[in-house]
Amino acid sequence: MLTEVKNQIKVVFLSIKYSVMRELLNRFTFISNVIFMMLNNASMIIQWLVLFSLRENMGGYTFKEVLLLWGIASSTFGFSRFFFYKAFSLSSIINEGKLDSYIVQPKNILISIITSDISVSALGDLLYGYIMLVFYGLSIKSFLLFTYFIITGGIIIAAISVILNSLSFWFGNTDVIAETGNHLMTNFATYPDGIFKGIAKALLFTLIPVGISNYIPVHVIVNFDLNLFLINTTVCIFLIYFAFITFYTGLKRYSSSNLMSSKI
Amino acid sequence: MAVIEVKNLSKSFKVKLKEKGLKGSLKSIIKPKYKTIKAVRNVSFSVEKGEIIAFIGPNGAGKSTTIKMMTSILYPDKGSIKVMGLDPSRDRKALSYEIGTVFGQKEQLWTHLTPYDNFKFFGAIYDIPEKAIEKKIDELRELFELDSFINTPVRNLSLGQRIRCEIVASLIHEPKVLFLDEPTIGLDPVVKENIRTLIKRMNKEYKTTIFLTSHDVGDIEKLCKRVIIINNGTVVMDDTMENLKYHYLNKKIVEAKMKEMVNLEDEEGITILKDKGYNLKIEVDTTKKSVSDALKLLNPDNIIDINISNVPLEDIISDIYKNRD
Repeated sequence: MLTEVKNQIKVVFLSIKYSVMRELLNRFTFISNVIFMMLNNASMIIQWLVLFSLRENMGGYTFKEVLLLWGIASSTFGFSRFFFYKAFSLSSIINEGKLDSYIVQPKNILISIITSDISVSALGDLLYGYIMLVFYGLSIKSFLLFTYFIITGGIIIAAISVILNSLSFWFGNTDVIAETGNHLMTNFATYPDGIFKGIAKALLFTLIPVGISNYIPVHVIVNFDLNLFLINTTVCIFLIYFAFITFYTGLKRYSSSNLMSSKI
Repeated sequence: MAVIEVKNLSKSFKVKLKEKGLKGSLKSIIKPKYKTIKAVRNVSFSVEKGEIIAFIGPNGAGKSTTIKMMTSILYPDKGSIKVMGLDPSRDRKALSYEIGTVFGQKEQLWTHLTPYDNFKFFGAIYDIPEKAIEKKIDELRELFELDSFINTPVRNLSLGQRIRCEIVASLIHEPKVLFLDEPTIGLDPVVKENIRTLIKRMNKEYKTTIFLTSHDVGDIEKLCKRVIIINNGTVVMDDTMENLKYHYLNKKIVEAKMKEMVNLEDEEGITILKDKGYNLKIEVDTTKKSVSDALKLLNPDNIIDINISNVPLEDIISDIYKNRD
């Protein structure tokens, strides 16, 4: 079992390494994608600077905490798109019948597919989060917690995408549903949770679990709380399990195709 | 010992029906209609170790669906499959160590990487230790003559070179059974011949059982000793290549260049295929008239040149497709 996990991780990293090698063929595009994504994120901070010049506190967050929230949001987004990029286009892979080459290999099908490509600009998002962490206040504790939460957060985002995209096994093309879900997870990720009340807040900790992937990490890094830490971890494990169950149940309904295709 | 055993295998697909135009599209949203297509119906056969089997049939006959069920890609509706004693729908991982697949229409290699890097990646997928991968790559490089392009990115290779690499990638883990789905599609005759030689060599060297689908009669004739013909989802023939030729080769084609014109119309057992005055092409049904009688009718003194041949296998197969439809 342990060897199997070790071998799977080896293949995942090899796959990511080869994708990076492909992107590095065009060095200028690679570097500019990363830098421009960081600049794009940085421009968003300006509106918060303006808002904080009017008030000292926004939904219970100080400016530094908003930077931390932005860091978490950016890095979880980047982590999910860098390591699990294909989780976000799984619907079209299923609909076009392109799972065949993964099914005939002795590795976990879902993991092999979602890690088979990377988004270079996501690397910019991932790094940008750490810059925000530096502005918030870098310490060993904050660095370790931040890294832990971007892993769990990135996995939560990817797992939700896998669940929504896997609906394609039953309902055909569900990429719009999946895209909406992904947008909701991103749109609410950079606002302080204090500004949401009632049903909206309840939704953000259940159906659209941005609260679990983004707000809880900010609270735990600012003021460590074991219960919140465990909630984040438990939800992450549950969503991984649910994503696998949904994908593998749907896989029994998979119908392949004879379309000409190539792996690029 | 049978390495593949398929019993009463069936698979259906539900296909959405749509009427013409925008109105049809709207109707199909409100009240969708479906049609069930029986792609594979009660198919049974077995394959022995080391055999090279041709699994052939026209487009839509159910070849690819059957192969995909044998390789874990699709789940069967009914029936059972055992490949190397394993059930593809339950033992996917274990089975994938035992089989190799090459789908001529689908590329499994990373196009920006060299064949060498691709083989290393496939080695990692099959948990082969580094040293063993290197050794295997060296061995296959020699057997498949890859030296001149093993370090060229796959996207810069010719189609023939790419197919050779696809086959090598599928052999890295020494599979006992190799499924080749139209491996020579789109290749020129010289490269096709080359690939056939390599497949034969591989079968001889490693005793690999080969399950081949192809529309190319040359592949079937030159590689396979047994043929399974499938049409409309059912097996219409499962016989040796020798028997297939023997039973269906009761017709001969005679092409002759004559000194004087001959009239063979209304002769029993003779069908005129081409008559260009002094050049004649006829088909002789040997159950009704012997070849020697046909030659007598032509008059040997009147013949400048003659060629007697079997009916092409391609015609035989398309005849079987039509007659057993």
